[in-house]
Amino acid sequence: MTGHPFFTPLGSNGRACVTCHQPAYGMSFSAEAARDLWKRTRGKDPLFAAVDGANCPNLPQEQEKSHSLLLERGLIRVFLPVPKNAEFTINVVSDPTGCNTSPIYGLNSPTPTVSVYRRPRMAANLKYVTNPAPRIVLKLGALADVDPANGRPVGMNFMADAREATLMTQARNATIGHEEAQSVTDDQLRKIVEFENQVYVAQISDRSAGSLAEPGAPQALGPAAMASHRPGVLGDNDYDSVFLSFESWKKGGDSAQEQFRASVARGAELFMFRQFWLRDVTHINSIGLGNPLKRTCATCHNHQMTGQDLSAGFVDLGTTNYPRWTEPPLYSDARDLPVFKITCKPEAQPHPYLGRVIYTSDPGRALISGRCADVGSIVMQQFRGLSARAPYFSNGSAKNLRELVDYYDRRFDMKLSEAEKQDLINFLGVL
Amino acid sequence: MKLKFLTVPLAVLIVVQTAAAQQRNFVACPIVRDTRTVPCFLAEYEGETYFLAVQQDISADQYPPQLLHDVLVEGTIVQGPRVCGGIPLKPIKLSVLPEVNPACNTILPAEPGIEAPPTRRPAGPSTRQAPAAAPPAAPQRPAPPFVERDWKILYDFDSAFLFSRDTRIVSQAAEYAVAAKAKRIEVVASRGATLLSSGKVLVESEAVASQRAERVVTLLKGLGADPASVNIRVVSAPPQPDGKTDPDNRVVSIRVSP
Repeated sequence: MTGHPFFTPLGSNGRACVTCHQPAYGMSFSAEAARDLWKRTRGKDPLFAAVDGANCPNLPQEQEKSHSLLLERGLIRVFLPVPKNAEFTINVVSDPTGCNTSPIYGLNSPTPTVSVYRRPRMAANLKYVTNPAPRIVLKLGALADVDPANGRPVGMNFMADAREATLMTQARNATIGHEEAQSVTDDQLRKIVEFENQVYVAQISDRSAGSLAEPGAPQALGPAAMASHRPGVLGDNDYDSVFLSFESWKKGGDSAQEQFRASVARGAELFMFRQFWLRDVTHINSIGLGNPLKRTCATCHNHQMTGQDLSAGFVDLGTTNYPRWTEPPLYSDARDLPVFKITCKPEAQPHPYLGRVIYTSDPGRALISGRCADVGSIVMQQFRGLSARAPYFSNGSAKNLRELVDYYDRRFDMKLSEAEKQDLINFLGVL
Repeated sequence: MKLKFLTVPLAVLIVVQTAAAQQRNFVACPIVRDTRTVPCFLAEYEGETYFLAVQQDISADQYPPQLLHDVLVEGTIVQGPRVCGGIPLKPIKLSVLPEVNPACNTILPAEPGIEAPPTRRPAGPSTRQAPAAAPPAAPQRPAPPFVERDWKILYDFDSAFLFSRDTRIVSQAAEYAVAAKAKRIEVVASRGATLLSSGKVLVESEAVASQRAERVVTLLKGLGADPASVNIRVVSAPPQPDGKTDPDNRVVSIRVSP
C-alpha cells in the first residue's frame, strides 16, 4: 500500500488516514491502542500530533498529561468557529484543557474557536453510512445538505455533527486539518474514497461465540454480510429486523458456546422488542412522535445492518448535555472535558427539553447549524466492530459495552436485569 | 314579521351558544396514560379530563403532545364514550408550546379497563407487512391542463416547524409549480391569536409569520420552483380570534398560477 494516499502521509505531521482509521481497530482506533502506541513510541507517533492529538497545541507535547483525552478516552480535538448565524451565545464555564480560554486557540482568540473532543468514526461500511437521503430531512422539516459536486441530497449521517456532505469533502478537510497538508489533489482524494468504499468491517469471530461467519450463523454477522447486503433498508419492524434473524442461535444447548450464542440471540430480541419510555430526545420525540414514546432501541437505531438512523442521524441522546451527560458533576475536580454555557437568543426556538440555557461539553450539531434546538445533537454511530474500538459514545465516556448499556438503562429507566444487560452486551459485542 | 325577525336570531344564537358550550380551548400540561398497548395523551381542564391523542407515528394525522411542554388544546366535544378515560374532542388541534415547563411530567400507569383506541402501529417495531415484491408504482406527476391551485399549511401555535405532514404539502405544491412552469407562486404567511375558553387571548409571536414564509419559500425553491416566480406576503397582524376557527389563521397558503 506504499504510496496509496490512504496510507501515505500527505501533510507535514507524518499522519495518514490510516493513523486514525486502523484496520486492527475496526477502521477507527481504541484508547487502549493509543496508550500502547504512546508507550512504544514515547509519544512520538504522529497520532499525538499537537494540532489535535493533544488536549491543546500549546501544552508541553512531550508530557503524557497533555494528551490525556486521547490516551484515556480516544478523543481527537475538533476545533470549529461559532457559526455566524448562531441563535445563541456561548461562554466557557470550565476549561480543563486550557484550549477554550487560550488567547491563541480559544473563544477570545483572533479567530474565535471552540474546541470539542470526539472519537474518530470507523471508515468502513460506508455504502450504508452515506446512503442518500430524501430531499427533505424529516428531523428538520428542511432540505438536506447536498453534494457540492452534483447537487444531489446527502444522508447527513457521517461525522458527529454531519458537517461534511460527502466522503470527498471529508477526505479533503481531514487531509488539510488532521494531516496538516497544504493541499491535496483530486486524484488523491478519489483514491482515498475509492479505497474507503471497498472496506467492510464486522466482528468475524468471538472468544465465546466462536466463528461468526460460519454456515448457519445469523445472517447479519461477519464482514461478508456487510459487503453483500443492500443499504437503505428500514429495519424497525418485526418481519425484516435491523440485524435480521438470530433464530439459529436461539435454542442454546449444553456447551458454553451454545449458551453464549443463545445469550446473543436474547440480546438481539431485547434490542428489537424490549419496550421502554423513549423520552426527551431531540429530533426523535420532537418531530411529531410525541414525548414520551413507548418504543424500543430499534426505533432510533433502525438502519438495517448498521443500527444507525436511516434518516439524518443527529439526536440529542443527552450524553453531552447537563444533566443527563456522561460526565462528573460541574463542581468535580475529576472533570476533563470543557463545559460551555449556551444561552439562546430570545427570538430563537429553545432546545426542546433543556430550554434557553444549556450547559454542555459538546454543542454537537449546533456548532454547524447555529440552532439552539440542536445543542447536544450528535450523529449516532454504526454498531459494527464495536469490540475492536472502545471507548464508546462520541465523547469516549463509556469505557466498555457494560458502561454503554448502563447509560441507556439509566437514561431511559429501562429496568434491565443483570442477565438482560449481559445479553445486550454479548449481542453488541459480536456485531 | 316581528316574531319572525326575533325567531331567526334566537335560533342562530342558540346554535352559536351550543357550539361554544362544546368548544374547549385551553392550555394545560399533557398527561400520559400508559395502557397495555400504546400510551394515550390526556389533559385536565376545569375538573374534567379530555382525551387528546394516542401514540402513533409520523404518518398519523394527529401528533401527540410532549411532556415538559404545555399543550394548547383547541377542540370540540363529541358525544360518545370516553376514550382512554377522557372526553374526546373532534375536530382537535394540539400545539406543543415552545418553552419548557418542567411541571409537565406526569405518566400514569396502565389500569385495567382503560384502553387506548386502535392504532396502525403498536408500541414496538412496526408490524405492517412488507410491501409486495412488485416494484411500487411510479408516483403520479402532475399533468395538464394546469390551472390555478392552492395549498394550505396549518401550524402549531407559535411554531414555524414543518412536520412531515407539512413538507408533503409543500412538495406537492413545488412539484405542481415545476410541472406547470408556474409564472407566479404566491406565498402568504400569517400568524394568529386564540381565544381561550377562559376568555383570555393568546397571540403568536410577531416573528413567526415571517419565519413560516421563509421556511416554506426555501423549501419550494430547493424543490425546483423558479425563484423568480415566488412572491411572498407576510400578514403581520393577527385577525380577531373567535375561539372556533383560530387554528385556521396560523397558516401559510401557497397559490400556484400557471
